[in-house]
Amino acid sequence: MIHPVLVKKQRFILGIALLLILVTMIGGMGLGYSSLSYDRLLPTLMGQGTFKEEFVLYSVRLPRILITLLAGMALALSGAILQGITRNDLADPGIIGINAGAGVAIAVFFLFFPIEAGSFVYLLPLVAFGGAVLTAFFIYVLAYSKNAGLQPVSLVLIGVGFSLALSGAMIVLISASDRTKVDFIAKWLAGNIWGTDWPFIWALLPWLVVLVPFTLYKANRLNLLGLSEPAAIGVGVSVERERIHMLLTAVALAASAVSVTGGISFIGLMAPHIAKALVGPRNQLFIPVAVLLGGWLLLFADTLGRNIIEPSGVPAGVMVSFIGAPYFVYLLLKK
Amino acid sequence: MVRLLTNDVSVGYGDVMIVKHLSVQIPDQKITTIIGSNGCGKSTLLKAITRIISHQSGSVLLDGRDISKENTKILAKKMAILPQTPEGAAGLTAGELVSYGRFPYQNGFGRLTKKDYEVIDWALEVTGTLEYKFRPVDALSGGQRQRVWIAMALAQETDIIFLDEPTTYLDMAHQLEVLELLQRLNREQQRTIIMVLHDLNQAARFADYIIALKDGEMVKAGTCAEVIVPEVLREVFQIDAVIGRDPRTNKPMCITYNLLKGEKQQHEKNIPALYAHAGSAY
Repeated sequence: MIHPVLVKKQRFILGIALLLILVTMIGGMGLGYSSLSYDRLLPTLMGQGTFKEEFVLYSVRLPRILITLLAGMALALSGAILQGITRNDLADPGIIGINAGAGVAIAVFFLFFPIEAGSFVYLLPLVAFGGAVLTAFFIYVLAYSKNAGLQPVSLVLIGVGFSLALSGAMIVLISASDRTKVDFIAKWLAGNIWGTDWPFIWALLPWLVVLVPFTLYKANRLNLLGLSEPAAIGVGVSVERERIHMLLTAVALAASAVSVTGGISFIGLMAPHIAKALVGPRNQLFIPVAVLLGGWLLLFADTLGRNIIEPSGVPAGVMVSFIGAPYFVYLLLKK
Repeated sequence: MVRLLTNDVSVGYGDVMIVKHLSVQIPDQKITTIIGSNGCGKSTLLKAITRIISHQSGSVLLDGRDISKENTKILAKKMAILPQTPEGAAGLTAGELVSYGRFPYQNGFGRLTKKDYEVIDWALEVTGTLEYKFRPVDALSGGQRQRVWIAMALAQETDIIFLDEPTTYLDMAHQLEVLELLQRLNREQQRTIIMVLHDLNQAARFADYIIALKDGEMVKAGTCAEVIVPEVLREVFQIDAVIGRDPRTNKPMCITYNLLKGEKQQHEKNIPALYAHAGSAY
């Protein structure tokens, strides 16, 4: 039923987004503390680089580029889903408390459990995931009323409340602990992409491979959930069940992304928003656009951030906030 | 035996019961209207029958099966709902909105089949909205928009259609347009229509069967000749009504009405005081 002209426009925008990603990736490969000139990129990719060139490309830059790209995609999709099920354009995994939940879980785990270097890397995403799911569960339970079901407004409000409370808890936790450990957590909170190695890519990729098609499969239901609740029930959507499925999907995506990148918000807010402004509110059309834009935004923010101040750079989360906060204010004012 | 009935149904929010032990039978292939004053539970009853809200006790039976235990998609093939002041269609075209009504027949990614397209065009055609197919719903007038929403309900191809105050916010001509459309659907396609209406005379003119509620309980149910009578209206609306006949449709209609004596006196007491106050200012 979607107009062919609109579908063409969406394809065109998808093409542009892919191009932007490609250009930023290539740009990012050549930028950084260690030099790897652009005319050496192709030979290095073909396996003819020097040891140093290959190390810089394959062990430093490429993993980081892919991680930011994938995490941005996951956050954008998560935000798109949350905006859909709460019917609130300001919903975002960060605002809804999922980031803070993952953060506290990581802080508790990092501070109180003995660390073995080998398994630590693989446990962290699981821990963050658990923290986020637990937080989402509590928010859902508190926002749920027996008669009226899940109230989108209370979901957002309680989410914001949880986010603040958990941030407070985190400060209590880290203020009483060892300096070096606090350092890691503080960087995590600022959204300093810390998981920049291939295993983290393999930890993140499966979520996207499974959940992007799953969400597109559910796109029609999300469209219907965007109507009023009685209308959605009337055409036979099991509103409560779909909301829980989609909420779980959104939590899984945000948690898996946040667990390797650290606390990054605003991507989940901005990407779906820009996508909707470009191609309209139909989930099957705007979700792919939002996913690509989200990936590009975080990649772009991180590429800028890590090159602004040498050598440590500005954390991606901070860069995103530089762009995101004014956008958020703009949205509020427009409303 | 009618297809749709409620059995001792109670609905409430928290401890407050809005609908109390209500048993009604909805006549098949007729237009049924639920009337009553504000807050009497008429919308709540409609929502309970259509599973939008759950009821605390009793049961709602459709074809002998309890709707709270029935698969919601199967129910959506049997009954469609036009909610009160529907919303959320921002950015969609009329055709797309109507295509959402095909949801109960779809699986997987929701690709529309040839049959779906035929039904969508038919629903737009019947409601006189085919020309808006590719226009955004936001850009339509209130009456046009309401007809598009009705088309969406029609696209569900159900025998039973519920409407919660379908004429709210419409001007008089558009109100009539919507009600006549519903009447045509009932007469020509034998669809059972159940709606909540505010306007007594519209209820009397279009309904075959009227259910009058007060404080969540049924005062009277029957044909309009049985329900639109001074005694019932006195009980339901606390009005003293003069009932005549519509010279065109020969249906009963409320020509004029006053508030009941007790309340009228109260108002009269207040009014002179107001005048006295105003007078002193001059």
